[in-house]
Amino acid sequence: MDWKSTEQASMERHAPNHSSSSSIPATENTVWADASPLLDTVCKELRDGELIHGDNFNLYAAMSALEIMDPKMDSGIINKYASVDEAIEDGLAPVPISIDKTVDVQCIIDIIDHLLACEATWHKGHSLAQTVFSCAYLVRPERTLSHALLDSYCKVIRATCKAVTTIVSDARTHEEEDLFTMSYGLPLNVEGDEKCLSLLNAVEENISRQLRACKAPLSKRKPLEDIEPLQTNFDLEEGYCKALLCRLRFRKHFCHVLSCMRRPQGRGLELARKHIASCISELGSILNSAEFLMFNAYGTCEDGTEDRTTASGRQAIGFDANLNSRISAPTPPRSIKILSWKKAIKYFENLLHHLDIICSYPLDPSLDALLRFVAQFQKAQPDLVARVHLQLLLVQDGKLYGRYPVLAVIIRAARLTEVIMRHDILKNEYFVQLGQIVINMLKILCTNAAWQRRKLGKILQDWRAIYSQLELAFRKESGEGSSISNGENASAGILKHILIWVEEQTYWIAHRFLVLGFELELYSPSEYCMVYWYLSVVLIRLAEKKHLKMTVSDGSAKQKGKKRKDSPKDLAREARIPPAISFLQCQICLAEGLALLLAALRNELIVLQSPSPFNSEHERFLQHFELLQKACIPDLISYPSFKESTSYARISSVVMYNYFKDAQKIAKEVKSSFLNDPDRSAELRILEQVAEHNSVALNVISRVGALDPSLKVSFEFIHHPYFATVVVKRS
Amino acid sequence: MEQVQEKQRKEEFDASEIEYVSYGGEHHLPLIMNLVDQELSEPYSIFTYRYFVYLWPQLSFMAFHKGKCVGTVVCKMGDHRDSKFRGYIAMLVVIKPYRGRGIATELVTRSIQVMMESGCEEVTLEAEVTNEGALALYGRLGFIRAKRLFRYYLNGVDAFRLKLLFPQPEMADRDDTQNHDDHSPREEYSELHRHL
Repeated sequence: MDWKSTEQASMERHAPNHSSSSSIPATENTVWADASPLLDTVCKELRDGELIHGDNFNLYAAMSALEIMDPKMDSGIINKYASVDEAIEDGLAPVPISIDKTVDVQCIIDIIDHLLACEATWHKGHSLAQTVFSCAYLVRPERTLSHALLDSYCKVIRATCKAVTTIVSDARTHEEEDLFTMSYGLPLNVEGDEKCLSLLNAVEENISRQLRACKAPLSKRKPLEDIEPLQTNFDLEEGYCKALLCRLRFRKHFCHVLSCMRRPQGRGLELARKHIASCISELGSILNSAEFLMFNAYGTCEDGTEDRTTASGRQAIGFDANLNSRISAPTPPRSIKILSWKKAIKYFENLLHHLDIICSYPLDPSLDALLRFVAQFQKAQPDLVARVHLQLLLVQDGKLYGRYPVLAVIIRAARLTEVIMRHDILKNEYFVQLGQIVINMLKILCTNAAWQRRKLGKILQDWRAIYSQLELAFRKESGEGSSISNGENASAGILKHILIWVEEQTYWIAHRFLVLGFELELYSPSEYCMVYWYLSVVLIRLAEKKHLKMTVSDGSAKQKGKKRKDSPKDLAREARIPPAISFLQCQICLAEGLALLLAALRNELIVLQSPSPFNSEHERFLQHFELLQKACIPDLISYPSFKESTSYARISSVVMYNYFKDAQKIAKEVKSSFLNDPDRSAELRILEQVAEHNSVALNVISRVGALDPSLKVSFEFIHHPYFATVVVKRS
Repeated sequence: MEQVQEKQRKEEFDASEIEYVSYGGEHHLPLIMNLVDQELSEPYSIFTYRYFVYLWPQLSFMAFHKGKCVGTVVCKMGDHRDSKFRGYIAMLVVIKPYRGRGIATELVTRSIQVMMESGCEEVTLEAEVTNEGALALYGRLGFIRAKRLFRYYLNGVDAFRLKLLFPQPEMADRDDTQNHDDHSPREEYSELHRHL
């Protein structure tokens, strides 16, 4: 239909009623006056660029009032259909699709495939109304009742969408992905949908029988068992039965994955894994069916376009991207591109893989282990649906995994024994607050990196505040009588442990805030120096606090109370540094090495410096570290301290105190302690690699001379996501 | 809003031939609208343009070459939510044959200069993470990438919020509260922006 005839048809359907007279009768409260002459005069007098504006309708309001291209607001937009009913009257979604059963089956498979593509597109961040519910069959449930296969499939889709929307809503941290849950006006609560699985089972059983029937040799077929085949072409019966079965089974198992994972306290995780495995297996079968389906569509097995949204390559019947544009909640007016069928399958494979990782997590009550798990999980940049499932597993009813009260988790993390749980001091308001702060942190750690980083920066203030409160309480407790040394003041002892742990946790958040900046590409190369410098400062404090926590024993009289004023490099000389601390020391050395190398290059070459006409490095330092500075993390660190630490850096001095060599050494030494920890082993290997490369690069720079024009030095993230590898090229 | 900067086939000219003009009135409006309509893919109504150039004419500039308008920058400034006086760069366009010659930099620089002189504490804008030209341009001017906004644009592309902080006389006393953009990515324009 070309534009003109569409417009005409549209106008004819919506022609205003011109026959009413221009005078509207007055009532008790209203008198109408014809303003046309006034408007005419005004129009003639207004010059180009002049506007009439009222007190409450300024230019900003005028601008915001116009919504171009949104059919609910832009009456000039021409849509093919004004409503779903009009689309259906026009024959968009026939039921049955064809009287020819073979064509009917083919078309239904195409619809199933396109729906999968729509679903993946929705998960990836587009609105439900423009994706899954662009299917007219879904939007008018009563129409499909006569067609068991189509009907049960539609029910399952609606039920699944409802389940997933609910899960995402419950998590409540989908801010930037808020298009996801908008479902106003869409039929997500259709009566009868809850029976979808039993209906689907019935259809699946039927098709299974049809499959068995077509495979049984003629001689063995008993007349009583003769059932009507799926479609009319006997040669294709097996192929179509199989193609349908794997699609139906995938749907069924996917529903079960969702419901198992929602069972409280992680009780359904093991069963969920079985369903995940079935889903993945069925996805494999679905992919394999493409050859058969394409062959029957086109008579060839060529791949066709990569953009196709169905296995067969045909366009699915019954979809219109603008079907809901007039009725639903804000739908972005721009049409969107539905993911290709192949990409959709890849998406679901990926999603299931991530869900499987979540389901295999042993629900460790150790907070440290959990934080490492979450950080590792996030490295693969999982999508919203996977992340939401992780969050809902971690935090249920204010407890970790719904099992461990958060305070107990904190006690354990702070290396106090469970006995402490009975102590009165834990009933204090600030412990309740601390629990909430920890839960909030866990939720934030499950969100997308961009949002996560902003939130982590913000909560640093909360952690600082609770630290101050606890510190006040500690001073109060330890001030009452001088019983710390003989260990009678249990309250003070508890508070001391908690204080150390809170500080350690604060620095951990600060370090995560800084390193996420690399992943999000927030730093330009000219800023790497200050970032690595700040990172090294934070990591040093983190290591200090962690070590302190480990050495301060459990609230007893044997409290060492030694304040670790030594730098971690000095500590390295002491025997038996816990491996976790060495791990951090390795990172500290890398960060320091990179900061000083960058500083040295800048000092010697004045490279990587960007003289800006409007501000200096000072302003950029303030901006990048504003949230850390505001929370005094760490104390007494400022731009002048950064300048002081780096203004005398030279290549020669960096070579002398070769931090990269130290990092390499530490990595080698501590490797054996992490043999049972594949994630940390892997990271240590990479850290070692980076250290080695950088050490060599440093030597080359030193040998050739930083000022040599043939030398080109760059910092690339080829091994590690935030510790750069120094790449030296000679031209 | 949108920024465009790509290197493509170039027009031959000398930098001194480019004339920079501050927004001077209604007669400039169609020039700006045509440029932006031509180069950027989003539809803006005339009210959007009027909002900017009527209220802040001193912040919009055009670049002319031999009488032809080849580039423009459109900005605003004002009190932001936490009472920070802040400039905002809404649109920046230079037509393709004239790119890569510093015209965009010059336009933006003039506008930022006026913002600075008017007492702005900082300047901000959004740019697609894939817009290398814009990121390089603003980076050279001292902007940092303050935040990454996930799927900010309707086509699913992320954005960086770029911010330039002017040197302040008394840093220690500034009571910064970074709350304003963090509750939602919806700046005043984001609502407008998301639908564009």
